[in-house]
Amino acid sequence: MKTVQKVVNPVRRAGEQSPGKIYDPKLKVRARREWRGVKDTFYDYTRWLYLMSVLGRFIIVPRNVKGFFRYRWMMSYLFVPHGMDKFTVGLRDEALRLAHTSFNFVIADVTQAIANCFRGDRRVGNDKAYSDACVVTDENSMVTFMMGFDTKKVHTILREVPTMFASNIFHQFNVMHYLDIAQQYGISGDVCPMPEAEAGISIDDDFCVLGCCAVQNNTTCDGSLMGNGIIAKRLEREYGIPTFQLATPLRHKEPDVMDYAAQEIKNAIAFVEEHTGVKWDWDVYFRAAKRVNDATRCRIAQLEINSTPYPQFFGAAFSLYNDTNYMGNSGRNADFVKIDHKLLALAEKGYREKRMYAKEYRHRAIVWGVQPQYVIDMLYWLVQCWGVMPLTDMLSVINTDMIAEEDTPENREQAYRDMAMLNMEMIMRNHTHGGYKVLLDDLWELCEKMNADMVMMWEHMSCKALTGMHGMFEEQARERGIHIMWVSHDLCDPRVFTRSAIRDQVSAYMRTVMREEPLDPSLENIPDNEAY
Amino acid sequence: MSKFVKIPLVLLGTVLGFFVVTFTVYFFNLDMKATSLLAPFLEKWYDHLERKQYI
Amino acid sequence: MRDLKHLQYFEDLLQVANNALITQAREEGKVCVAYTCENVPEPLLNLDRAFSIRLHAPHTGSMDIATYYMTNLLCEPSRALLERAIEGGFNFADCVITPDGCTMMNRAVENMELLKTMGKDNPNFFHEYMEIAFKNTDNDVNLAVLQCKNHILTPLHEKYGIDISDEAIRKAVAEHNEICRLIRAIGDFRKEDRPRITGYEYHVITLASYVCPKHLIKAKLEETLEELKTREPDEKQPWRARILLVGSEVDDSDLIKLIEEQGAFVCCDRFCFGSYPGRNEIVLNDDEDALTQVCRHYIQNCQCPRMMNMEKVYGRKQYVADLAREYKADGIIYEQVKFCDPWAYERTLGSAMLKDDYGYPVLSVDRPYSIASSAGQMRTRVQAFVESIEIKSIQRGGKA
Repeated sequence: MKTVQKVVNPVRRAGEQSPGKIYDPKLKVRARREWRGVKDTFYDYTRWLYLMSVLGRFIIVPRNVKGFFRYRWMMSYLFVPHGMDKFTVGLRDEALRLAHTSFNFVIADVTQAIANCFRGDRRVGNDKAYSDACVVTDENSMVTFMMGFDTKKVHTILREVPTMFASNIFHQFNVMHYLDIAQQYGISGDVCPMPEAEAGISIDDDFCVLGCCAVQNNTTCDGSLMGNGIIAKRLEREYGIPTFQLATPLRHKEPDVMDYAAQEIKNAIAFVEEHTGVKWDWDVYFRAAKRVNDATRCRIAQLEINSTPYPQFFGAAFSLYNDTNYMGNSGRNADFVKIDHKLLALAEKGYREKRMYAKEYRHRAIVWGVQPQYVIDMLYWLVQCWGVMPLTDMLSVINTDMIAEEDTPENREQAYRDMAMLNMEMIMRNHTHGGYKVLLDDLWELCEKMNADMVMMWEHMSCKALTGMHGMFEEQARERGIHIMWVSHDLCDPRVFTRSAIRDQVSAYMRTVMREEPLDPSLENIPDNEAY
Repeated sequence: MSKFVKIPLVLLGTVLGFFVVTFTVYFFNLDMKATSLLAPFLEKWYDHLERKQYI
Repeated sequence: MRDLKHLQYFEDLLQVANNALITQAREEGKVCVAYTCENVPEPLLNLDRAFSIRLHAPHTGSMDIATYYMTNLLCEPSRALLERAIEGGFNFADCVITPDGCTMMNRAVENMELLKTMGKDNPNFFHEYMEIAFKNTDNDVNLAVLQCKNHILTPLHEKYGIDISDEAIRKAVAEHNEICRLIRAIGDFRKEDRPRITGYEYHVITLASYVCPKHLIKAKLEETLEELKTREPDEKQPWRARILLVGSEVDDSDLIKLIEEQGAFVCCDRFCFGSYPGRNEIVLNDDEDALTQVCRHYIQNCQCPRMMNMEKVYGRKQYVADLAREYKADGIIYEQVKFCDPWAYERTLGSAMLKDDYGYPVLSVDRPYSIASSAGQMRTRVQAFVESIEIKSIQRGGKA
């Protein structure tokens, strides 16, 4: 089997050494916050203050209070500081700053998204003029088809992001209600719980209602595609909001799907123009394209840092930021550029100073598959408890090609193809769909490139695209001498696999197969199954 | 005490007081503990809201 | 009723995937094109010397090896096919053409390819994967044309020298239509108040038309149609209700038999590889090339749940309601194979809309690939459904 050289951290971590002590089984939140030494605790405290100010500024707006008491999922956002604790467990120095910088920016973005939803929502803010300028899209939308619309004139509302995706990160039980509703109305319990929960939210009438039109897509999976019908029926028939289904080819590596995909983008743009009355602006588009390329360059640099013995970018905060930037932003918001460069500068500093996230790195792992929403802190736990360094996760392995960014007649036609390419290569589906090569071969290439000896395989049990290749992963990993550690979960339903059941799979593998003992025994059994 | 001494002292005291209170809340996670006590009542509230539930 | 003369013959053809007619056709020098999804235009797989065989796995028992490769979380049809392929049950195929339709079936075929389950002694053997349409727009027709050229016509021509000309396509469509007309004419007897064919018999015949070389069963289909014209239905009808069956593929005719044993006559079939819409005739004109017309036919007629635009989403329910009216169905059974994502949602939305918007009693069930493993449960559900239809009928003043 392949082995990698162990890297030992010569520097003792500031503050307390066993973050496992801050968990209390009697509480649904941490017993206290972590002591990280004076400097880092003070930094963490200031970031907490910042978060409090973001939440405070949100809740002083009367319509947001009204929305808070109307929508069940809003309860999750009471636990944003708890989410921050999950994202920063055991972190110090640059790692802590990287996590806070990315996490806090995402929180500000999500908070703004909720405020926008409430402003236009017919039940809450009912700002009709604003609502008429809104285009509602899916949680799994690449919003490339909005890149050429002036953000001051047309507002893109990814209403499923705050409602389902982000809310589940802060409150692990919050989605269960919607899953129960969906299943009560007959949807099977064996489909992916994410689109199922979204369908449940629609059935439960717990989505904000706004927008002059909506664009849905099939980017992730069969379940996601199919859930759209249920949601669109309510949007169209009850609320009179016309919907457009943006079809995105699955076999995205085949050149013979490109014309179709590009035409679909054109059709989506035409639909938005028709319903908003706002014309596509090529200046706006190419400015956004430049920002997309800038983010791509930053991402390539990040991956290079992570292929060294001193990786700096990993974990939930980073991947969540990456998701938001790549998918939900797609170059439309200039603020992301500043954050991209700030993150890169922090990582480069961390790399120069050989900062490490744990006492030692015993293994270098690629994390493949889809992470569970409710154990979002798992990768921090993995490195600190077992010394397994996650070099990158599947959801962060996305496009590295540059798109046309100069406004020329040829590039305007190329732009549709670029948008189509980005849309097809959306996070996750760029590996889960498009044939087995992008799922299997890409993984082994990445293992080689990043010098990984281990794959931590998230087996999201309802993700058929992934589990359908289970045996092939096993066989091909064996042929290559790569350790493959299976960790099953059910994405956002903690009743199927609890947090400890998920971690126990890793611990069992590390003890029985790798014959190793934990680096930090205080973390091995964390009593957080009942915590939010 | 002159005004030039008093004002900075009051400011310092305010800042210090703010720091002591908020840091205590922060470090002992009092914000989240209080919120977790509130959550069951909120859940009941959401359970009792009238909704137009259909597929 | 007297048994149909050829029923046993058709039943025998369904007992194994590699049936006698496939062997016969290959001995005639024909090329066997295996496929797994109704979204592949069937006539294009029957050009010139080629004949299409839809893969199925009758009498599936253990799926242990396929479950190792794909886990027990994937639908049973996909695992059953992989298991059968690993066992060598599909070695008759000269190529496999699969659309990336539902993920699970696509993964099943990808596993077949990676495990090299077929084509060991055939250097020309190939796997092709197609992108298929999501909507019914011109853009989708263009996509389908290109995909058929690149993933069906070109490889068949290059590997096996199959004639892929416009004339060849028109000839294949004409032959396809002959089978469709026969199947439809046989099925039309189900509309009668005293039907002279059972849903079970019809399913066996229809399924045979997908899993056998068509030219070798045509004569038996014609004979069966003639026989039905004079077949006398029983004086006392055993049926308590007429049922339209909608959902994912039914490869196990025993499911239909089980439903009918409870007194529910399966008067119409709207499931993958059933006769609706799979046995609709393709009408060609001389103004446009045949390939484009075939592709357009498949896109416009497609009732697959993965067609995602709302015109199609609503249209599928209207289609079911129209069939129910045409075949005088008293109720509708929406079924799905367990773990089937597309039908899990379609079943839910369809059963709600057919009940709420169209007023039909609906039974919504999931089921295994082979009904034998869950017969008791299904029997109870159907019995209860039939009784509920009868009670509603009594309440409306009808007879039980």
